[in-house]
Amino acid sequence: MSLGAMSPGAVRTLIILGVLVLWEALPRLGLVPMLFLPPLTTTLVAGFSDWRVYGAALVVTLTEVAAALVFAVGGGILIGAFVGALAGPRRILLPVFSSFYAVPIVVLYPVFTAWFGIGSESKIAFAAIYGFFPTMLATAAGIQTIDPNLVLTARSMGATPVQRLLRVILPASIPTLLAGLRLGGALVIVGVVVAEMLISAAGIGYLVTSSRTVLDSPRVFAGVLLVLVIAMGFDMAMRVVERRCAAWGGGAPAQVPRRRPIARETGQANAA
Amino acid sequence: MQPLAELKPVVDEAIAPERPIIQVSGLDHVYPSRDGPVHALSDIALTVGEGRFVVIVGPSGCGKSSLLMMLAGLRHQTAGTILCSGRPITDPDPDRVGVVFQEANLFPWLTAIDNVAFPLALRGVSRAERAARANAMLELVGLGDAGGRYPHELSGGMKQRVSIARGLVQDPPVLLMDEPFAALDEQTRMAMGEELLRIWSATRKTVVFVTHSLTEAVYLADEVLVMSARPGRIVDRMEVELPRPRTYEMMAGAVFGRLRDRIWQQIKAPAR
Amino acid sequence: MRSSLPVLLGRALLIAAFLGAWEALPRLGVADPELLPPFSTVLGTLWGLLARPALRADLAITTVQLLVAVAVALPVGTLLGLLLSENPRLGAIFDPLVFFLFSIPKSIFLPMFILTMGIGFWQKVAFGVFSTVFIVLMSATAAVRAVRPDHVFVARAFGATRAQIAWRVYLPSMLPILLEGFRLAVIFGFTAVLLAEMYASRTGMGHQIASWGENFMMDRLFAGVLLLAIVAIVLNEAIRAVEVRCSHWRS
Repeated sequence: MSLGAMSPGAVRTLIILGVLVLWEALPRLGLVPMLFLPPLTTTLVAGFSDWRVYGAALVVTLTEVAAALVFAVGGGILIGAFVGALAGPRRILLPVFSSFYAVPIVVLYPVFTAWFGIGSESKIAFAAIYGFFPTMLATAAGIQTIDPNLVLTARSMGATPVQRLLRVILPASIPTLLAGLRLGGALVIVGVVVAEMLISAAGIGYLVTSSRTVLDSPRVFAGVLLVLVIAMGFDMAMRVVERRCAAWGGGAPAQVPRRRPIARETGQANAA
Repeated sequence: MQPLAELKPVVDEAIAPERPIIQVSGLDHVYPSRDGPVHALSDIALTVGEGRFVVIVGPSGCGKSSLLMMLAGLRHQTAGTILCSGRPITDPDPDRVGVVFQEANLFPWLTAIDNVAFPLALRGVSRAERAARANAMLELVGLGDAGGRYPHELSGGMKQRVSIARGLVQDPPVLLMDEPFAALDEQTRMAMGEELLRIWSATRKTVVFVTHSLTEAVYLADEVLVMSARPGRIVDRMEVELPRPRTYEMMAGAVFGRLRDRIWQQIKAPAR
Repeated sequence: MRSSLPVLLGRALLIAAFLGAWEALPRLGVADPELLPPFSTVLGTLWGLLARPALRADLAITTVQLLVAVAVALPVGTLLGLLLSENPRLGAIFDPLVFFLFSIPKSIFLPMFILTMGIGFWQKVAFGVFSTVFIVLMSATAAVRAVRPDHVFVARAFGATRAQIAWRVYLPSMLPILLEGFRLAVIFGFTAVLLAEMYASRTGMGHQIASWGENFMMDRLFAGVLLLAIVAIVLNEAIRAVEVRCSHWRS
């Protein structure tokens, strides 16, 4: 069967298989130095044979991620909802925050290590800030997409302010909250790992960096792969939750704000 | 030839004039805007008899929707009084008035039946009673078997039927309808008008219906109130002496045409 | 959207309060001035640093790396994006793969770039390209989608040539989104280059910031952070101003 007659999905599978085969073959055939690209099997063996080391590092990293998530997503959603729902704060704060969004937050990390030392605290602080702004901006934008007519309708039925909040505004913002959690979570994971890569003494990022300094490529690749799996796994799990909660929304995962469609996708995707 | 029984309500009305259920007097509304204060409504006085179908028709921006929002207690007038069942309306009171909006405004996270039951849930009605009453209302609007569907699974006309069922579920004596069929296509709109008259004759509610369609006004109403462009005031009032049930054929008749012309003369005049 | 005077005043007050707190907290002894030097001190340090040729060289290197990275990513990403959105077959095959690459975090791949390319100029440029090219690609795809078929039909109905359609329909529809992609590429490219410099480098602002941090030279560290923040905000707002000019006709 020719390539042109195959279904796009089949061609795609072929391409992915090809990449995996090349990953294995190129270094083995000596076409690419093993230092640059350790064969796939070597990478996997390095990762699995050291599972105790990676497991211990994973525990450190995930603990930091969980702590940072509370600050980043909790704060981001709360303040984002506040800023998005009220016209005054929105007009004053939103442009300031979205300008601030351009600042490369990574340059603050040395400040945090100077303040909090090279332990978990500096990673948590950095990742929390790192995840906070995009989550907040996305929440603020999402809250604005709630149809004000729904609130008006509830009012016409005599709903009290508390009932309006609990029975209308809250359920209407669930897609936004979940999207905020997904976005913030992805950023927090990357923030923690990057911080560990820069300066630390524990965690997966640290493992990757210390393997790199001794030019142990298989362990570098294994660590990066592990982080990738965690980030993708989190993203996929969140998408499943979103889809389930959005059954009533016609399957749309989240109400994407009409303005700046790419900005949001990019914010969530291109973590650093 | 119409069966005599179906003509009877008209005869009844002619013999025994109804008690007034809505009384509006001296109603004025001025609201601030960027270009100074806007005089939206001026010296509105009207009385709606119990069980009547009253249509308010007028050009865009004449304040007819504002007037309806005030009858619903969703907006406050600058001056004047609105009485419903003898007591003033200051806030939404679902025991006295139900509202159906231009958009169906169904809560997308609730099924059709839960949407209809929503006003009851707000007031803490028991689950069993809620289900029974919501079901009865869905039956009434001809959607008895669609209760489990989510709004995104319903057509525009079906959504508006659910919205009508929701407006009726608390059994208020008055149903306010704000251009409820304006977002529908012409055929659905005709069918919905017919459907509404059927529901109305089954429940004998008092209906105040706002529209900018002359045909819809004459087809539905016992009485048409014509409003002028801003500042909105009532410039004409006419009885529609067509027998019920109304039929499609009546639209081609002389009475229908004369009434529609009379409204058109009133509406177009101030625009010159 | 023009902002009213009270809103602008509120914004100015917000920024003033932030800077005021930065100044007051260490001065009042609430924060340790060793850890948080007052704003005025940092401003003075920044002024002194800017006078140094060495720092200006670092700033120049960082800027050049960013510009080269964006200069590569922009045409490459745009061309690939156009290719994928104009060729249905290629699009059907590659769109999911591209979206996957777009959505994975890029910074964790930095150690691999160092293994293969060392810690020089081109390694940072390559990492910068890798971090931005998918943003440009996605925005090019979105830009093509923003061209409304009915606009093209209308133009054709009036007898427009292919070139006229490209110039008068496609370009105006796509430009605002392409510009937004460019702006995001600059933002994320800046972060990427700085991160690469902080991670392993002998030059550049990122390297300076990292070493000031390690040596507890807090006034210089904050001066560097302030400088980079200003550069980033100015770059971002400048591109956004062009974006707004080009998109005023879009509703």
